[in-house]
Amino acid sequence: MTTRIQYITRKTFRYILSFFVIITLIFLIPRLMPGDPILNILGEEVYYVTPELVQELKAEFGLDQPLHVQYAHYLVNFVQGDWGYSIDYMQPIFDVIIFRLKWTLVLLIPAVIFGAILGMLIGSIAGWKRGSKLDTETTSTFLFFYSMPHYWLAMLFVLIFAFHLDLFPLCGICSGGTEGFERFIDILWHMTLPVSVLTIFNASYNYLIMRNSVVQVSEEGFILTARAKGLKEKVVLFKHVFRNALLPLVTVIALDFGFMVSGVLLVEIVFSWDGMGTLIYDAVLARDYPLLHGCFLIIAICVLVANFLADVMYAVLDPRVRGEGVG
Amino acid sequence: MKILHKIDITRNRTSFIGFILLSAFLTIAIFAPFIAPHDPWEPGYPFLRPSLDHPFGTNDIGQDIFSELVYSARISLFVGFFAAFISMVIGTLIGLISGFFRGMVDEILMGLTDIFLLIPGLPLMIILAAYLSPSIWNIIFVIGILWWTSTARVVRSRVLQVREMPFIEAAKALGANEIYIVFRHVLPNTLHVIFAKFVLAVAGAMLTEASLSFLGLGDPLQKSWGMMLNYAFSRGGFINGYWWWYLPPGLCISLAVLGFVLIGFGLEERERERVKTSEL
Repeated sequence: MTTRIQYITRKTFRYILSFFVIITLIFLIPRLMPGDPILNILGEEVYYVTPELVQELKAEFGLDQPLHVQYAHYLVNFVQGDWGYSIDYMQPIFDVIIFRLKWTLVLLIPAVIFGAILGMLIGSIAGWKRGSKLDTETTSTFLFFYSMPHYWLAMLFVLIFAFHLDLFPLCGICSGGTEGFERFIDILWHMTLPVSVLTIFNASYNYLIMRNSVVQVSEEGFILTARAKGLKEKVVLFKHVFRNALLPLVTVIALDFGFMVSGVLLVEIVFSWDGMGTLIYDAVLARDYPLLHGCFLIIAICVLVANFLADVMYAVLDPRVRGEGVG
Repeated sequence: MKILHKIDITRNRTSFIGFILLSAFLTIAIFAPFIAPHDPWEPGYPFLRPSLDHPFGTNDIGQDIFSELVYSARISLFVGFFAAFISMVIGTLIGLISGFFRGMVDEILMGLTDIFLLIPGLPLMIILAAYLSPSIWNIIFVIGILWWTSTARVVRSRVLQVREMPFIEAAKALGANEIYIVFRHVLPNTLHVIFAKFVLAVAGAMLTEASLSFLGLGDPLQKSWGMMLNYAFSRGGFINGYWWWYLPPGLCISLAVLGFVLIGFGLEERERERVKTSEL
């Protein structure tokens, strides 16, 4: 019991440290990178204002003060959700991002769940029958998906399913003019293609991990015992191999978030899905640095939280962590 | 026995396919001027459909897409190799030092590695690339300094095994100094692990370069497959359904990355088998 608490405390400490490193990075990057820090912190719009106004802005944001004062100022603003103001969107950056984040999660969460289930199932069967024709075929298929740029597969899907077969809409989140249940169905219809693309990628990633994990477990002594006892193959696979291979997968699902984040950002752009990805794409084009910083912070926080939850779950589930001190 | 035999064949076959793919792309990259039918920078008649003269048609300013593809192999592979090389050097150094010296140094370096593992890579690379001027060297730099974490971990765990081996003790007993032992005895025994990671890192770096270029952060003065996708997407190739413009570069990326991935996984699997047989 105490070791579990120790384990979680240790992890918590590490996550808090990571979090500080991340926000400090975002404090330092605009001040160390080439170019005028004022411009980097306040955005390119500063170009178009008068020198007096620049001085005023500088004073207002405390940029004329020594670095440690600026840092304290930055931390306070960060905690209060005061992340700057986006002139393009006429809104505080924090509000813009939170609104967009919702739409990214709409794609990301189903893709992570479906992809994990699909990859786990196929992966464990392939690992169980390793060396068979089925294994070779599925492994090479998933390896090929694994090697593709996500957004390119998205473009291919649009070409086939939207352009030629006309089964799904080309882009966007919903057609507009609909409400209630109708709107819900409309959104589902719009998200089918992007979610499928992302599911395929997450499945290929989980497939490879699950397959390896099953291969490793099935070489252990207790599997030999189970077979020697005359248990049916199915029972051995699902009761003995699967359960043991499943444990690292709890962590994997959380890690999927980190892995899928870059994928979802790029896939969104292809589908003109108004989430974080298109937000970042537009911010890159406009060199809207404050907005980019905000996006990075939110994504980093989401990834940290997902990983932390995975670690806690792992500690709760794995008797080895429960009993002895691991990590 | 029969099963073992089967695995060997499939593994060799996949590694072999990877090898063929890589050789093909390397050949294309090296002999680009002889393979490309046109100068990829020469403007001509825009938006031509595929024909005998232009196998994949022409782009928005009339450059021959097939020739662009051939020349892009150079930049894409170059960026992949160099970025992976930088990440490998950083990862190997960190892994060697923390695995060999243990203690406080190990704690700090591995803590740092864990923190870097948690930082979402692509979004941070986007920010760094947005600040730096768009050139392939900056892209290489940005990918290289953020891709070393898994190499560091793998090298460290291998070093932990190696440092307990008798010959290291023998070298210590002979009075060899630690730096000498690390580079002369430990490093050579970790090279096969590093090589497998390097091959996979090239694949990752090529995909990342393509992503950054797709976002418009690539080098506009160089042709890479990612830049081609970027232009095809942002200049109407995608919206107008000119598949001959945007499908070939993506396919090239996928196949080249697949080549590296097949070889890398083959090497890692061989390493696992080796560890297993040595345990028996």
